[in-house]
Amino acid sequence: MQHKPQHKKQVSQGNRRRKILPIVFVLLSLLLMALPLESPVASVKAFLAYIFIPQIRASHAALEYAQGVSGTVRELLNTHWENERLQEEMDRLRLENAQVREVFAENERLRAALGMKPSHIWRGVWTKTAYREPTQWNSVIIDKGTQDGVQERAAAVALKDGEPVLAGVVVETDDYIAKVLLVRDEDFSAAAVSSSSGKEGLLVGAGAAPLKMLYLPLLSSVERGEKVYTSASSSIFPAGILVGEVVQSGEENSSATALTARVEPAADASSIRELFILLPKSGGNTP
Amino acid sequence: MMTTLMKLFLLFVGSTVLHWAFTAVLGGVGLSLNVMLAFACAVCAHLKPQYGYPTAFVCGLFLDFFGIKLFGLHALTFTLCAIAVYSLEKRLDFDAPVPQMISLWGLGLFAALFDLVLLKVCAGFSAWPGFWPFAAGITLNAVLAPAIFWAVRRVLTRGIKA
Repeated sequence: MQHKPQHKKQVSQGNRRRKILPIVFVLLSLLLMALPLESPVASVKAFLAYIFIPQIRASHAALEYAQGVSGTVRELLNTHWENERLQEEMDRLRLENAQVREVFAENERLRAALGMKPSHIWRGVWTKTAYREPTQWNSVIIDKGTQDGVQERAAAVALKDGEPVLAGVVVETDDYIAKVLLVRDEDFSAAAVSSSSGKEGLLVGAGAAPLKMLYLPLLSSVERGEKVYTSASSSIFPAGILVGEVVQSGEENSSATALTARVEPAADASSIRELFILLPKSGGNTP
Repeated sequence: MMTTLMKLFLLFVGSTVLHWAFTAVLGGVGLSLNVMLAFACAVCAHLKPQYGYPTAFVCGLFLDFFGIKLFGLHALTFTLCAIAVYSLEKRLDFDAPVPQMISLWGLGLFAALFDLVLLKVCAGFSAWPGFWPFAAGITLNAVLAPAIFWAVRRVLTRGIKA
């Protein structure tokens, strides 16, 4: 006799939970979406990092190790041959390095004579892509964070055919990982300069479409196929990193006060595996 | 209760690793497999709402954590999917593979479209991967669903549900 009311009470409690819980979680999600991405959400993310990151880091490390095993065996088999080749290359590079040092010193002397700012050698860390959301090619997660010196607003450079190309910028950092916003994202922007015409503009991401190079002078001529590099006036990126190639020049409408060119980025977001993250100069925040 | 929570936690950790592994392998060809959605639906199909809703929410947060736009979007999508699973549980037999695949295909389609629309509307960001990667991702996810449902049921064994 006493069981029936108790059972009824449990059923009504279950029904209440069934109605209240989804409302609570929907409201919580909406609240998170509505909050600004900076302080409150950053705190939630910092907390979540303790739950979500360790296993991903461990899996990434295990995969790296497993890949490393086959690589090590192959390397062992090729050691002698590779050693000889590397010795030769090292001798050649030593010679080149001596020449480069001489040219660099001369360059610095000339810069000093002209009263220009001294140039800086890039310092940075090589990182690997630890995670990427396939549907969102606008960002990647790299396997190094503040512990390795990676800082927000640091430039991310990839290698394409041995040449450094601009891949993106670090937008979020954690102790052991960091998020890199890739050049195609609409929020990405960088001051850039075209190689032949020397015209400077502001590069902004345009999703799947080529990047837009805005604010080019109206009477300038930026030709198709021209290479575009980061400009010395950029506050984040060091000058001279290849960004891409002009694929369409001079979009103009009657009311325009400046030209817009389209630039195909050199870094292919889908094939980025390693990134070189530039570390800040000693005493500065940006590379 | 503690045992179930421990099992849920271990299953969650396993799912995140599986999700990462599929992303690492299939990401190169542009395919997106939403293992977390399948896991959240499987948990909702086997456990009571007090376990299902928080799990779905946390699974969504996991995906949000790795994104850079609209934090909370996946958490909302997954909660809505959990509501759908609990609404359908009396009409669909979630223990059979075919209903599992059909429901996951439908929920996968809903989740992907919902995310795309909200990202476009709220963040002005288009994440459309192209028709074939989009369709293939959802279909592959549905094909994978019975294995995830089976693993979740196996680990939770008798579960809590009466």
